Amino acid sequence: MSFVARAFKPATALARLTRQSARFYASETAAASTPAAGRLVVNFALPHAVVLKGTEVNQVDLSAVSGDLGILADHVPTIEQLKPGVIDIISDAGSAKYFVSGGFAIMNPNSVLNINAVEAFKLEDIDPQAVAANLAESQRLASSAKDEATKEAAAIEIELYESIQTALSAKSK
Amino acid sequence: MSFAWKAAGMNYLQYSSIAARALRRVAKTELQAEIAKREGVAVKYAKWDSGKAGVSALVPNVETRPKAEN
Repeated sequence: MSFVARAFKPATALARLTRQSARFYASETAAASTPAAGRLVVNFALPHAVVLKGTEVNQVDLSAVSGDLGILADHVPTIEQLKPGVIDIISDAGSAKYFVSGGFAIMNPNSVLNINAVEAFKLEDIDPQAVAANLAESQRLASSAKDEATKEAAAIEIELYESIQTALSAKSK
Repeated sequence: MSFAWKAAGMNYLQYSSIAARALRRVAKTELQAEIAKREGVAVKYAKWDSGKAGVSALVPNVETRPKAEN
């Protein structure tokens, strides 16, 4: 009997070891931030502020350089460069629209979406009159600027302001 | 992927700061006081060679408005 017990000891120790390591890997993949099935977790950060941290949402719409994306849970992992445009965060509470100046969106394999932007404002925090005035000023600069860099900078601004105007007019409809 | 700003000799830091500055300008006036605190960010870079820092240089900002307005 004692012989049998002794013979089994190493086997049980080994079994326990494999079980523990199996549990370790399971807990690694099931990190605390991983959302429930069908849910998407969003982290949205700016250099000076954290907009969203670990927020569970249903969908995020964003405009990337490669095209407009609607991201749901279990989206294929990807890294997208953001265009100046709207990020629409759709949760059970409704939709929250931010206008970002540019940045990156990183979709992780575990339904966690990280968005980094340089500057972002809620659409309602943008002054439409200031947009119109600055668009006119940038257009004037684009046609009058002598050096290439200023011209290109003005073109970047025009693209951004036109994108804001599109977003604001879509919102008022 | 080709970008017009890259063709004009700009780098991504310059491109993204132009866009960020343009967006800051159009925020509502009640937010402008808070925004002013994070204006005037600059990037300096230096190339390191065999453990020694080279000459550090500023990534130049491309100005599109007279100084007083920025």
